[in-house]
Amino acid sequence: MRGAVGFEETRRARGRRGGGRSAGLQEPSLYIIKAVFILDNDGHRLLAKYYDDTFPSMKEQMAFEKNVFNKTSRTDSEIAFFGGMTIVYKSSIDLFLYVVGSSYENELMLMSVLTCLFESLNHVLRKNVEKRWLLENMDGAFLVLDEIVDGGVILESDPQQVIQKVNFRADDSGLTEHSVTQVLQSAKEQIKWSLLK
Amino acid sequence: MIKKFDKKDEESGSGSNPFRHLEKSAVLQEARIFNETPINPRRCLHILTKILYLLNQGEHFGTTEATEAFFAMTRLFQSNDQTLRRMCYLTIKEMATISEDVIIVTSSLTKDMTGKEDVYRGPAIRALCRITDGTMLQAIERYMKQAIVDKVSSVSSSALVSSLHMMKISYDVVKRWVNEAQEAASSDNIMVQYHALGVLYHLKKSDRLAVSKMLNKFTKSGLKSQFAYCMLIRIASRLLKENEEGHESPVFDFIESCLRNKHEMVIYEAASAIIHLPNCTARELAPAVSVLQLFCSSPKPALRYAAVRTLNK
Repeated sequence: MRGAVGFEETRRARGRRGGGRSAGLQEPSLYIIKAVFILDNDGHRLLAKYYDDTFPSMKEQMAFEKNVFNKTSRTDSEIAFFGGMTIVYKSSIDLFLYVVGSSYENELMLMSVLTCLFESLNHVLRKNVEKRWLLENMDGAFLVLDEIVDGGVILESDPQQVIQKVNFRADDSGLTEHSVTQVLQSAKEQIKWSLLK
Repeated sequence: MIKKFDKKDEESGSGSNPFRHLEKSAVLQEARIFNETPINPRRCLHILTKILYLLNQGEHFGTTEATEAFFAMTRLFQSNDQTLRRMCYLTIKEMATISEDVIIVTSSLTKDMTGKEDVYRGPAIRALCRITDGTMLQAIERYMKQAIVDKVSSVSSSALVSSLHMMKISYDVVKRWVNEAQEAASSDNIMVQYHALGVLYHLKKSDRLAVSKMLNKFTKSGLKSQFAYCMLIRIASRLLKENEEGHESPVFDFIESCLRNKHEMVIYEAASAIIHLPNCTARELAPAVSVLQLFCSSPKPALRYAAVRTLNK
């Protein structure tokens, strides 16, 4: 937490991209989201979308992701601040989901994007928001994100709407042989009973 | 969408990864099947996903190979598989800057954007606007205006957000759509309201009086969207600071009234706005401060942190 002394000076000196809210210098805008990315539990990128040129090169993006990961992977606090940016995040089994905005953005707005992303993926991946399922259904994940944020603007915040539009569900028939056998078994039973009627 | 697990991978414990050992040239070679008929949607989808994944991982595509892949992808429009079509739209957007002659998909996209399948219309609009230049925009102007006021909210939202992006390319053309945006603002849909407000503000922001009038209108008519409210609060704060108005104005009253909104997001935005207004009296600050103090004991960590940060200012 910053002390009161010298705060005004440092705030002005840092200018527009400085940490903390610079009152009124920012233009009200729909362009709120800087980036959304999903990392595995080694901090490697699985999916990432950057919406402005804060990190223009892939190298800078990946360095940023690494920094964010280092800062957040061991804590549970959902929100972090650095580099003049607010990062809200959520971990799920072996994945980390991040939404990034400027530090002067409304944190609850950023959270609404994160929540929508997670809930939508939760449905698409049949409640298995983990690396294996994500990789197997990467197209679904790409489409989900595409429906939530467009060019940095929040397009949709209601996961139900996203799910409806994407209309994609992971197919779980290949996942375990055991469960397939079970399904076939119960189908056989049902046919047997219906024939007996 | 069946993706088979490799038994070997599963046993090795590292989990299967369909993108392991992915090689760009191999994938591009595979993409040649896009030219075959009939199109196998699942296989094509899988290959397209691999291409997008590679791009996402930072793989560099040269112009020739990107253009070839792009052209091959256009064949996939022949398939009616929904997911495949949507992935095509995504591919168009992702490859728009690295492939040449992307405008060849313009007629397909225009067809989809005005077609019967509502599911395609929004995404088609967004893809189209990613490849459109100023001249083309005039050609599709009629469709854009129709789309903005479309009853299907996803179509309207897509058109509005795309209009916002298009302002950077062709502000003068988009400016002509202000009436449509105005009409869209009276939508019941919370996202359409938000997007319409955003477009209107960006169109009027250089004219302080116009912004003031717009603010006045919306604060009276009462929007539903919590996102729109947050945007209005920001517009209002900016107006207050620019006009150096005293806090006796209805603009300040509007912000203050948002402290009693039913959405936390709006309450927080309003409290934050008040705290950041210069020359606030203690009396004016008090309700904002007490709301933030309440948030400091919220069960939601993000809200707690945000409130503490703001109070600390």
